[in-house]
Amino acid sequence: MTSASEMRPQRTDPAGESPAGRRVRIHVDGVAYEALEGLTVLQALDDLGVLGHGVDVPHYCWHPKLETDGSCRMCQIEVDGETGLQVACDTPVREGMDVTTQSERVRRARRGVMELLLVNHPLDCPICDQAGECRLQDYAVAFGSPHARTREPRRELDKRRELGETVLLDQERCILCRRCVRFCREITGTGELGILARGDRSVVDVAPGEPLDNAYSMNVADLCPVGALTTRDFRFKARVWSLTSVPGVCTGCARGCNVTIDVEKDAVQRYVPRRNDEVNDTWICDVGRLSYRRIGATDRLSAVRVRQPDGALGEASFDDAIARAARAIREAVRDKGPGVVAMLASPHATNEDLFVLRRLVDGLGVASAGAFVPQGDRDELLVLPEKAANAVGARALGFGDGAPVLDRVRGGGVDVLLVLGHELAAAIEGDANGLAGLDALILLDTHASALERAATVVFPTLHAAEKHGSLTNHAGRAQRVVPAVGPPAHARADGEVLFALGRALRLPGFAGGFDPDGIARELAAAVPGFAGLDLDALGDAGLALPLAGRESA
Amino acid sequence: MPHLPLRTGYLTEHFADEAYGGLEGYRAQGGYEAARHAITTLGPAEVIAAVDQAGLLGRGGAAFSAGRKWAFVPRDRPGPTYLVCNADESEPGSFKDRMLMERGPHQVLEGALIAAFATGADTTFVYVRGEYAESARCLARAVEEAEAAGLLGDDVFGTGFRHRVVITRGAGAYICGEETGLLESLEGRKGLPRRKPPFPAERGAFGRPTTVNNVETLCHVPHILARGVDWFRGIGTEQSPGTTLFGVSGHVVRPGLYELPLGTRLDELVFEHAGGVPAGRKVKAVIPGGLSMPVLPAGQLDVAMANEALRERGTALGTGGIVVMDDTTCMVRVGCVATGFFRDESCGQCTQCREGTGWLHQLMLRIERGEGEPRDLDLLLEVAGQIEGQTICAFGEAAAWPVQGLLRHFRGEFEAHVHGGGCSHTASFALPGLATGPDETEAPA
Repeated sequence: MTSASEMRPQRTDPAGESPAGRRVRIHVDGVAYEALEGLTVLQALDDLGVLGHGVDVPHYCWHPKLETDGSCRMCQIEVDGETGLQVACDTPVREGMDVTTQSERVRRARRGVMELLLVNHPLDCPICDQAGECRLQDYAVAFGSPHARTREPRRELDKRRELGETVLLDQERCILCRRCVRFCREITGTGELGILARGDRSVVDVAPGEPLDNAYSMNVADLCPVGALTTRDFRFKARVWSLTSVPGVCTGCARGCNVTIDVEKDAVQRYVPRRNDEVNDTWICDVGRLSYRRIGATDRLSAVRVRQPDGALGEASFDDAIARAARAIREAVRDKGPGVVAMLASPHATNEDLFVLRRLVDGLGVASAGAFVPQGDRDELLVLPEKAANAVGARALGFGDGAPVLDRVRGGGVDVLLVLGHELAAAIEGDANGLAGLDALILLDTHASALERAATVVFPTLHAAEKHGSLTNHAGRAQRVVPAVGPPAHARADGEVLFALGRALRLPGFAGGFDPDGIARELAAAVPGFAGLDLDALGDAGLALPLAGRESA
Repeated sequence: MPHLPLRTGYLTEHFADEAYGGLEGYRAQGGYEAARHAITTLGPAEVIAAVDQAGLLGRGGAAFSAGRKWAFVPRDRPGPTYLVCNADESEPGSFKDRMLMERGPHQVLEGALIAAFATGADTTFVYVRGEYAESARCLARAVEEAEAAGLLGDDVFGTGFRHRVVITRGAGAYICGEETGLLESLEGRKGLPRRKPPFPAERGAFGRPTTVNNVETLCHVPHILARGVDWFRGIGTEQSPGTTLFGVSGHVVRPGLYELPLGTRLDELVFEHAGGVPAGRKVKAVIPGGLSMPVLPAGQLDVAMANEALRERGTALGTGGIVVMDDTTCMVRVGCVATGFFRDESCGQCTQCREGTGWLHQLMLRIERGEGEPRDLDLLLEVAGQIEGQTICAFGEAAAWPVQGLLRHFRGEFEAHVHGGGCSHTASFALPGLATGPDETEAPA
C-alpha cells in the first residue's frame, strides 16, 4: 500500500545496518521484531523494511522523510494494554509492546476515517490523474465501505489553481494531509505553501505573489497521496496503469538520484524519485526530474555516419564506420606512433563503457586521455556541481581533466581524436574550427552537437536509460541502470562501439562481444577501486565502492 | 463592565467595590499577603503541597488537579520556565473569567505570582480572548501597578525572585483555548493543537517547560494559602472542593454569575438562584457546563454540580456555564447551533473532526428542515462516535458530546422532526442562516 516512490528497498543484507541505539522487542500481528528504541511504531516498521512489505498500516500524512504530523488519523492500531486505539505514527515503540494492525476495531476505525475523508472528496476518479496510484482510492478499496452514507453536497473549491510554474492544485481533491506544506517548510525551507482558513473550509494555497517556485517544487506532487497536486509536466499525459516502471538513475548530476522511469509506448513519460536513503531519500530536483526529456529528444543521434568525399556526413553501415575509424587510428599509429592519438571519455558513460575505453587506450598505448565534466550550481539538498552521473567512475578509471588533451589537440599534436559524448563541444564553446587540424575525429554521442561538424565518423550511442551498466555517484556508490526504453534506430552502447573498434584494431581483450555483466566483473577484478562490482548484486539500492578521493577537487 | 455576581463567595465578595480593581483597594482586603507569605517564607514545594492537599481542580474544563500539574514541571532544567494563564474564555455559556479579570485583576496576578513561584516560572503570559478588550485593559493596568509597587519585577518582595507578566491577546478562535492551540498562537502561529506528549510541562511555550492554568484556577490559589487547606476543603465536596463561578444563561429569570460551592445542586441553581424559567414556561433541558457538555433533561436536574455526580448522568461540569432551555425550545435547533459552532471552530487538522463536524451540522440542518430520514439519527451518533476519542485534542469530544447528549435524552423529538416533516416548535428561538441552505460556509476563493 505504500507508494513506490517511498517504498524502502528490500535489504539485501538484513543484518547489515545495526545502529548504535538500544533495541526493544515488539510484536506486530504476532510476529516478533527488534526495533530501535526512540522510533515510533510506523518508523520502526519502515526501518525494518516491513511497512508495505507484510505489515499494512495505511497512512496519509506520515511520510518517512517528514516530521510526524499525526493529523490524518488513518494509521490507527491496537496496542495491548491501551484502552483506546493509538496512531502508529505517533506512538513510540517500547519493550514488550504488542501491536495489532488488523483487528475488527482497527478496521472499523479505518473505515470511519475513510468515510469522513470521502465526505468532501469528489468522485472524479475516472478523470483524475492520480487514479491507479491514489492512496484514497487504494485505501477505499482496502478499508472503505462499499456504501456511501452521505447525501450532502461536497465542497466546491478551485479545481485548477496554479501554485507556480510547475504544479497545479485541485483544492477539492485535497485531503489536507499537509505533506506538501511540510515539505516546503522542512525540506526546502522555502515555506511557499500553507493552509488557509480552518475546519472544513481549509485549503492549501500560496500567498499572493509568492508562488511555489523552489528547485524541488514537483516533489509535492509525488508526496500528494491523492490527485490534488499534479505537475504541469505529467498532467493528463498518461494513465498510470498503462505505464511500465523501470528503476533508473537520474543523470543530471553526480548525486545519481534514484528514479523510477515510467514508460509508455516505448517513450519515457516521467521520472519519479525512487527512495534510496543513501542517495536522495525520496526526492529529486526539478531539473533532474525533467531531464528525462533528453532521452526522447528530437536532437538524438540515430544514424551511423561517415564523412564522404564531398565533405558531407553520410549514413554508413556500422561495420563500414568501424572500419573507417579503425583505419584512421591504425594509420596514425603506424605513421607517427600512438602519441598522435587522443581519447576523451564521457562522464555520462557507464563504468563498463569506460572500462572498455580504458582497455582501448591501454591497448594502443595512447598517452593522452581525459574527460570533460560539465560544471554548474550546487545546493544544500541534492544538486551537485558536476553535471554528469559518472564523473567519479571516469576519474577512477584514469580519465582526469580533459583540458590537457584539448591543449594538445590545439597545439597540433593530435591527429586522431576519439570522443565520447559532447562535453568537448562546451569546452571549445561550440567552435569546431579548433578541431580542424585533426585528421580524424571519431565521435560517439547521444545528441547532436557542434562536434559533428568536425567529425569523421559518428556513432549514435545510448542514454543511460537505454542500456545495461553501472554509474558511480559522487560518494562512490555504484548504481545499476537497465534499459527502460529502446534506443534510437542505430544507436549502440559506447562499450559496444568501442569493443568493435578494439576488435577491428586486433587489440588484446576484445574477443567476443560487449557484455556489460562480464565487463563489470573484469573491472572489479582489475581495478581495486571497483572491487566487488557485480551488476546483478547491485540491486535497486546500489553498492558503495571502495573508491578513494571520490569528490572532484 | 459586566453585571456583578448575583451571589458572591471568597473569589467575588469585593467585586462590588470599584477600588478592589486597583492595587490599593486590593491590598486593603489583604491582597498580595498570600503571595508575600508564599514567596518570603514558603518554598515552592510547600506551595505545591498546599495546593495539592487542598484538592484544587482546574476550572478551565478538564478539572485536573492544579497541584499535580505544578509538580510535573521539571526543576532541573537550565533556562526559563513559563506560566501561561489561559484567559481565552470561549466556551459558549461561560463568562466567569471575564468577571474575574475585570473586577479583580490583582487577584488573577497574585494567583499567577504564586503559581509562578511554585513552578519556577520567570514569566507569566496571560493569553486573553481577543474579544475581551476590557479584560486585557484591566489586567494591563494591574500589571503596571504591580510593577510600580515592586510586586512584579527583578526583586519580588525583596527575595530576589524575578517575575514579569506579559499580556497577549487572541484573535478569535475557540481552539486557542485548548492549551496547546493556545501555545501555538502565543508563539505567533496558527492555533493548531499539538500532539502530546510532550506535554507543556516538558515542552510548552517557546519550547520551555510551561504550566497552563485557567484564570479562575489561579484566583483560588491566594485564598488557599491565606486561609489554609482545611478551610478550602470545608467548601464544596470531598472530591471537588472550593467554590466556582457558575454562569447561568438562557431562559431564566435572573441570568448571571453565581459563586457557589462545587456540589451545589443544579436544580437549586436553576430554580432558587436563577429564579427558574419565566412564568408559564417549564424547564425542558439544561446544559450544565458549557456548550460542549452533554445536555440534561428537566427530570435530571437533581444532581450535584461536581464531576463525580455529573459523570453518573453522562455529562460533566466543564467550565460551569449553565444554559437553561424552556419548553419552547426545539432541541434539533439546539443541535444545529452546537454542531454549527463546532464546525466553524474546528481547526481542521484531524480528519475526523474537520470532516465530521461539518457532516454533523449538515445532518442536523437536514433534520430541522424536515428532510431527514430515520437512519439519520443513528448516523448522527455514528459520526459523533467516529470523532470522539480519535483526534489530537479534546475538541473531538467537545464536538461529539452535545450530539450524543441530545439524542440520548431527546431522540423522540428528533424522530418527530423526521416523521413529521420538520419542526413544529413555532415558538422556539429562530435559527439564523437556516434559510441559506445546508452549506453556508464557503472557503475563500
